[in-house]
Amino acid sequence: MDKRDPFRHNVLTAGHRACSGCGEAMAARMVTDLIGPEAIYISATGCLQVFTTHNQQSAWQAPWIHSVFANSAAVASGVEAALRAKGKDTPVVVQAGDGGTFDIGLQCLSGLIERGHDILFVCYDNEAYMNTGVQRSSSTPHAVRTSTSPPGRLSQGKQQLKKDVISIMAAHHMPYAATATIAYFPDLKAKVEKAMSIKGPRFLQVLSPCPLGWVHDSALSVTVSRLAVETGLFPLVELEYGELTGVMRLVEQKPVDEYLRPQGRFKHLFNSQDGAMELRHLQALADTRIRRYGLLDAHTQWDTAHAMQSERHGRGGYWRGSEHGR
Amino acid sequence: MGEAVTGGVVNMAAKLEIEPGSSNAYHTGDWRTQQPVYQNKWPPCSQVCPASEDIQAWLALASEQQWQAAWHKLAERNPFPATMGRICYHACESACNRKHLDSAVNIHALERYLGDRAIALGWSHKSSCDEARTQRIAIVGAGPAGLSCAFQLARHGYLVTVFDAQAEPGGTLHSAIPDYRLPKSVLAKEIDAILALGIELRLKHRIGKEISERDLLDQFDAVFLAIGTRQPRPHPYDDGTGKAGSSHRVTSGLEFLHRLNRDEPLIIPQQVAVVGGGNTAIDVARCVRRLGADVAVVCAQDPHGTHQQDLATEMPASLTEVIEAETEGVQLIYRAGVRRLVRSGAHLSGIEIAHVDRVHDRQGHFNPILFAGTEAFVAAELVIFAIGQEADWQGLEGLQQTTEAEGVWVGGDAVSKSKLAASAVGSGYQAAMSIMASLQGKSLVFDAHQKTKITFRKMQLHYYRKQLRREGEMNAQRLDGFKEVVNGLAEHDAVDEAGRCLSCGVCFECDNCWHFCPDAAIIKKEDGYAVDYDYCKGCGICAQECPCGHIDMENIETPAKASTS
Repeated sequence: MDKRDPFRHNVLTAGHRACSGCGEAMAARMVTDLIGPEAIYISATGCLQVFTTHNQQSAWQAPWIHSVFANSAAVASGVEAALRAKGKDTPVVVQAGDGGTFDIGLQCLSGLIERGHDILFVCYDNEAYMNTGVQRSSSTPHAVRTSTSPPGRLSQGKQQLKKDVISIMAAHHMPYAATATIAYFPDLKAKVEKAMSIKGPRFLQVLSPCPLGWVHDSALSVTVSRLAVETGLFPLVELEYGELTGVMRLVEQKPVDEYLRPQGRFKHLFNSQDGAMELRHLQALADTRIRRYGLLDAHTQWDTAHAMQSERHGRGGYWRGSEHGR
Repeated sequence: MGEAVTGGVVNMAAKLEIEPGSSNAYHTGDWRTQQPVYQNKWPPCSQVCPASEDIQAWLALASEQQWQAAWHKLAERNPFPATMGRICYHACESACNRKHLDSAVNIHALERYLGDRAIALGWSHKSSCDEARTQRIAIVGAGPAGLSCAFQLARHGYLVTVFDAQAEPGGTLHSAIPDYRLPKSVLAKEIDAILALGIELRLKHRIGKEISERDLLDQFDAVFLAIGTRQPRPHPYDDGTGKAGSSHRVTSGLEFLHRLNRDEPLIIPQQVAVVGGGNTAIDVARCVRRLGADVAVVCAQDPHGTHQQDLATEMPASLTEVIEAETEGVQLIYRAGVRRLVRSGAHLSGIEIAHVDRVHDRQGHFNPILFAGTEAFVAAELVIFAIGQEADWQGLEGLQQTTEAEGVWVGGDAVSKSKLAASAVGSGYQAAMSIMASLQGKSLVFDAHQKTKITFRKMQLHYYRKQLRREGEMNAQRLDGFKEVVNGLAEHDAVDEAGRCLSCGVCFECDNCWHFCPDAAIIKKEDGYAVDYDYCKGCGICAQECPCGHIDMENIETPAKASTS
């Protein structure tokens, strides 16, 4: 066991093979340390599974199972049912990428929610199949360059829109579905803790930048995910039984250019007339999301400046219960 | 596989032919080409502080309401917080990185708050040395430089004797700062706290009179001369008495303030002109207003903010002082120089001024050119020249020629270009360090982190919330007597204001690097963080997301490739 750090469990510990600056590794480390090592974790096929279990070495310091791409939700349902039969209340957590959630795993996930299993399903959304070489997924946003949606004479990257998966989840009338990102740890922490306090199916979509697939500097993973929120392209919302119950208000709306420019996957939009039109399209998509969720005028104390504020001696970390208390 | 079943119980562990190992065995650290390094920086406030205060450190303590610890930290470099908080022109606030977010931290008000709290609660300074030393040091001049030096030496266990020709200690702080800026009781209490370290003070002792230069050198192991500038620079105009100098119609700013501060009787006519553009001129003018007269300041330079490129042609007085003077009804005449004093018989009726073209000559000396035909008359029955002051070396001619090698140090206003009180305090500190190093046979050492500077561009200002700057209240009836113009901060305001410090370049344990590391390579400790270089992949996120710019990324030299030839 890795006990180097007295202030966190390191459920996902060092030595994993994620790329330098990996947003998904960061997100998974935050989420799993917030939940703790007592839970059972199920990982669908994807980057997270590949880079944490390499060559007879596991980076997991908690019970962990790998399922195939499609059936992580079904495996988790079985684990949860078995635990229930044995009278145990061990938390069950599924971790999947956007491919294992939006595309291949959607049917099993829908079934899990419909049957009402007591499971948290976390989707680390990096907006393409990064593991196999950056192929488009239904989570890839409009106009993004991937290896299967190259921009050229006929198109400016992906022609379709990003699938609105949080609305699909909310339409299941499920107890809790929320979006979060690595840039706002206090927000992510509040959402994980809230999800863990609720019984029944819960869903968390965590935007996790991929320096390799998004083509940005490895140091900018947090900056880029923060800009996704600040431009309105990735609203941070909470939905309970289909109703919008929480919104992180934007202190100011930033133009989408600020988010797009540091990323090579949008580079082709900045040097052609067709690209300029797609830029306007992306800006219009951001404006629509801001209007839809009331991101600028929501009646909430919880805003981006509040969630960003750095504090002396931190905001508290991962300790839960007495053994890790300060 | 049947052999794993023993007595009907399936031994799961034994079924696995290969036990999974921990990924900890794989060191991802060798992937990186650059690595993060925690490095304290020297914030801009401290960089420009003439007294080299560690402002960030005492603000951090103040924000945690560790008031006494904050005061001790501050006093380490400046034993006059209540005084300096009132009179210093706070270059620190002009340099403060927070102005790029909202407005600078109100450092001077907090300094004053700590000083006032120390006085109110009677805190005493800590000695930083247990061993008693036998070496004796003489300090000439009980002004800010002399007392600052005495404070440092006494704190380190030396036997210090301070000589001063005046009846009261404090030097210029006592004789030339008006009460509305610095009440005498505040200064006296801070001096008492310094002297309480066991410093001997001999007042009314002038070198060359009460004690000779020879005695000083014989009786003491080191001498520090901090004689200040008590001699007004002479003005060249004949005032009708046949000799240039001071009379009841023409006087110097220094003389005027000395008399005012000693409560000596002053006859102030209805109209007064002050010549000069420095802080002394403004002090004098504001005092004259408080004595009920009309006053005009004749200044050779332009107003503030008119010359971005050439600040030497702007009025040298502090901008806040000028603004306060104007609101009090002081009339300012810019770009004007005195041609002559205008008399009718023995009676002084005013001064004749003219437009100033060039202020400084090619050598940089103050040498204004006045244009003929631009003359104007300013009515005044008293003219006060506040055009600078000089050191008075009378009685010290011998020591003036000696060097540090002979055991004589010189500091303070007498030799430094900057005439700020805080510079004198800093000069006293440096002299003390130099004297101690010399007496102990060591060389001077400076803090290493003071070399690395930090600008707001290296910081992530979006991690800080905008917060209003707290100000001390202005006294509404300030022209009524010499009451203080600005009141101190209330305690809750002081806590909030201290919390506004961005802690530029100095870690305040916000946990960002620790939360954001994707590779579990940042270890949180009881005090701060450590990088586990076995696993750090060098992504740079910690440095990018550090709010205060404490983390640097440095390149790693790759191992030299084997030569192919």
